Amino acid sequence: MRLELRGITKRFGSFTANDQISITVEPGQIHCLLGENGAGKSTLMNVLFGLLHPDEGEIIIDGEPVKFEDSGEAVRRGIGMVHQHFMLVPVFTVTENVVLGFEPTKSINRVDYKKATDDIRRVSKEFNLDVDPDAIVENLPVGLQQRVEILKSLSHDAELLILDEPTAVLTPQEIDALMDIMRSLAAAGKSILFITHKLKEVKAVADVITVIRQGRVVGTAQPTDSEGELASLMVGRDVNLTVEKSTFTPGEEVFEIRDLVVRDDRGLIAVNGVSLDVRAGEILALAGVQGNGQTELVEAIAGMRHVESGTITLKGRNITNASPRRVLDAGLGHIPEDRHRDGLVLSMSVADNLVLNTPRRAPFAKHGSRNLAAVKENAERLVQEFDIRTTSIYEDASSLSGGNQQKVIVARELSRPLDFLMASQPTRGLDVGSIEYVHKQIVDHRNKGNASLIVSSELDEVLALGDRIAVMYAGKISGIVDPSTSREAIGLLMTGTTSESEHV
Amino acid sequence: MELVSIASATPTSIEVSVAANGRTRAIGAIMIGIGLFTGLVFALGVSSAAHSGLTFNPVNLSNAPWHLGNLTVVTRWVNLVIAVLMIALGVEVVLRSPRRAVMVRFGVVAVLFLLALLFWVVRTPGPSPVSVINLTAVLIGSSEVAMVLIFGSLSGVMCERSGVVNIAIEGQFIGGAFVGTMLASTTHSFIFAALGGAVIGGLLGLLLAFLSLRYLSDQIIVGVVLVTMIGSFSSYLNLQVFTPFPQFNTGTLAPNLAIPLISKIPIIGPVFFDQSGFFYFMLILVGAVSFALFKTRYGLHVRAVGEHPRAAATVGINVIRVRYINVVLGGAIAGVGGVAFMASQGQFQPGYTSGLGYIALAAMIFGRWRPSGAVVASVLFGLSVYLSQNLQTYNVPVSTYILNMFPYVITIAVVSGLIGRVRAPAADGIPYHRE
Repeated sequence: MRLELRGITKRFGSFTANDQISITVEPGQIHCLLGENGAGKSTLMNVLFGLLHPDEGEIIIDGEPVKFEDSGEAVRRGIGMVHQHFMLVPVFTVTENVVLGFEPTKSINRVDYKKATDDIRRVSKEFNLDVDPDAIVENLPVGLQQRVEILKSLSHDAELLILDEPTAVLTPQEIDALMDIMRSLAAAGKSILFITHKLKEVKAVADVITVIRQGRVVGTAQPTDSEGELASLMVGRDVNLTVEKSTFTPGEEVFEIRDLVVRDDRGLIAVNGVSLDVRAGEILALAGVQGNGQTELVEAIAGMRHVESGTITLKGRNITNASPRRVLDAGLGHIPEDRHRDGLVLSMSVADNLVLNTPRRAPFAKHGSRNLAAVKENAERLVQEFDIRTTSIYEDASSLSGGNQQKVIVARELSRPLDFLMASQPTRGLDVGSIEYVHKQIVDHRNKGNASLIVSSELDEVLALGDRIAVMYAGKISGIVDPSTSREAIGLLMTGTTSESEHV
Repeated sequence: MELVSIASATPTSIEVSVAANGRTRAIGAIMIGIGLFTGLVFALGVSSAAHSGLTFNPVNLSNAPWHLGNLTVVTRWVNLVIAVLMIALGVEVVLRSPRRAVMVRFGVVAVLFLLALLFWVVRTPGPSPVSVINLTAVLIGSSEVAMVLIFGSLSGVMCERSGVVNIAIEGQFIGGAFVGTMLASTTHSFIFAALGGAVIGGLLGLLLAFLSLRYLSDQIIVGVVLVTMIGSFSSYLNLQVFTPFPQFNTGTLAPNLAIPLISKIPIIGPVFFDQSGFFYFMLILVGAVSFALFKTRYGLHVRAVGEHPRAAATVGINVIRVRYINVVLGGAIAGVGGVAFMASQGQFQPGYTSGLGYIALAAMIFGRWRPSGAVVASVLFGLSVYLSQNLQTYNVPVSTYILNMFPYVITIAVVSGLIGRVRAPAADGIPYHRE
């Protein structure tokens, strides 16, 4: 399919998410849409997929202008979309998910599951996408679920596939497999629109690259361009992709966990006998695909989740199953994974959020009542110091951009005396500029001789920050390695393939 | 391509089934516990001379070509047999942890428990029983309650499978009963009465759908408000219309339509084949709803909308329309249930559904949002409701209020995960809005 987007403009109130965007995707081409979070990629794809209606501009398929009332029409015109958050019904089988909306039927409206299953087998054979049609989707690993999504689009005779940030939840090996699938689909004549902000993937797979910034097309690039060139085009200025760190001089042991066992919300063992230690002046980076127990481990350390057995020690004090307040008082700084749920009270002001963990302590409280002057002084100082962009310190935290919200949390946690910093997915969803900033703050903190545990599912981040890298798989530490270890070796550890890894 | 199969990065399915087995065993243990209780209290705790009198004759003797004599059993022995049966079922669940139908087995144990309670209640010290319990009458009486509960829980299944909580079933019962008695009294046709009930139930469903789908109001609050409103309004109308003009509220009982030959089978015949038209309609409806939800294209769409509406929307399914249709249909089913209830009581009285709509919701949950499960649960709850209303006549030492709690205690046990894991449709009760 030859797809042309001509002058697409989409506004939300006074905000222009897409401004005169024009793109052409040729048949058999992998066209990469590169841009930061918030650049307008997802809006553009939702317009193309019929989920949003453009204010201006045209969508032209094989020379013919089209208008989609809903995504069903887009699908019928041969557009398939693999969403970042899969559009799959977890309790349905693969077959039920694939045929949904396009069911072959027998008499009295019965779904012809036999024909459906046969069709799926045929399509999965044709495109070499092996998956069991009778499996229940929620029992499949994420990589296979994504394959079901692709299969779903192909079964609906998609000629153009939109892949929206498809690698966010995959292991390095799964990413390689996905790239292979993309190449073979393109070879079979399908057009592919690949949306991402990850430079490595773009260089690996793209035929053509269009870069989007602040809702506008700012240029096209070649896959042969360097990562630095792509990044500066994407951000609009020169970017430093590496983090400066002073030499690694570990001191005494600050933080230790031994044989920790923690259950998840469903009561299943999520952390299964994890032992780790972190020394002063060291960043221990915890890598792993999401959902392998990292979230539960972090919550247990922060006092937000019950520890079944094992011990957590901070500066010699046992903080196992201590309340969050006692853990914070013991000297833990915590940048949580979900900043909206656990990091901020969105409906409270920036100033109040900046003292969220110390409201009852001097100077912010006196004789049981708040000292608002001290709160104001603190907020003004931190907004200055951490470059938090807000119109007023009394503005609701919800009005800030994601990067500035994260800066509020970083400022709050790093502005008080800490023995140990724990940051979980500290740069998720942030733009390159904010990522640079947050990384610099974390490394500065480490350079001052402090201990840190950074949990991240982004391999780049883990490699950039970690002095040692621990990999978590299925609730266990599958290895602790040096940051000079190859991506492939770490990728294997992320799938639980334990090698004779060297403990450093 | 090979690498991907290694890269299954979230390996929890095995643990899940282990945990599920653990829970299944817990259910088995509970079943054994109930069996032991039954054996110790209702069997061994009874003097060996005590007897329970039973009869199986239908109330309307002229209708039965057969006549089974009164049966007198030794209370201890019959309850011991029941207890052994319960324990055996429990042991089977513990040892084999069957994947399916654990809830059905649990339901059977619960029914057996109520039967043992019944035998224990009517026991007399000597071999010539003073009071005789008519088992056929108990079953027929329970089946009438169960029928109403099944209408209600089918209504709940229809709505909640599409993602809308219909807590207004009680109100739809009342509305159906009110309109039903008026139409039955004036037209003398239960078909018109049923149609009228379906219309009023459907309209109440439409109101619920409109408020929760158009204005995204909290579905629970809207539902409760509807029940309260209908309750008060029907009481008002009762006073204004039925008190001065009692001829509009003479509904009368729906006649039994005995099916030739098979209605004469002892016990089974009168219970299943000598019932009102509402009963047969209910049976057909159970099959129809089950078929529609799990075999047809429509049902696949409904379940997708109830589980993951956005996924359904991306393949062109109109989420809001599916929900409207199901909530209106569900309301209509509950409305017919209200007429059926009226037709088993003979007329309308304010507030006389006394929470049956909520028990129907409990049955839907216990039945895991499946029509077949709802039937099993409704039979169990129907028996317990019937017994709680009728046991006084046998001088039970247990307060009927305690027995009234039975369906709710079971529901709490089910919802809290004590007896097996039930999972509501993922989007149940969550408003959907297009981005």
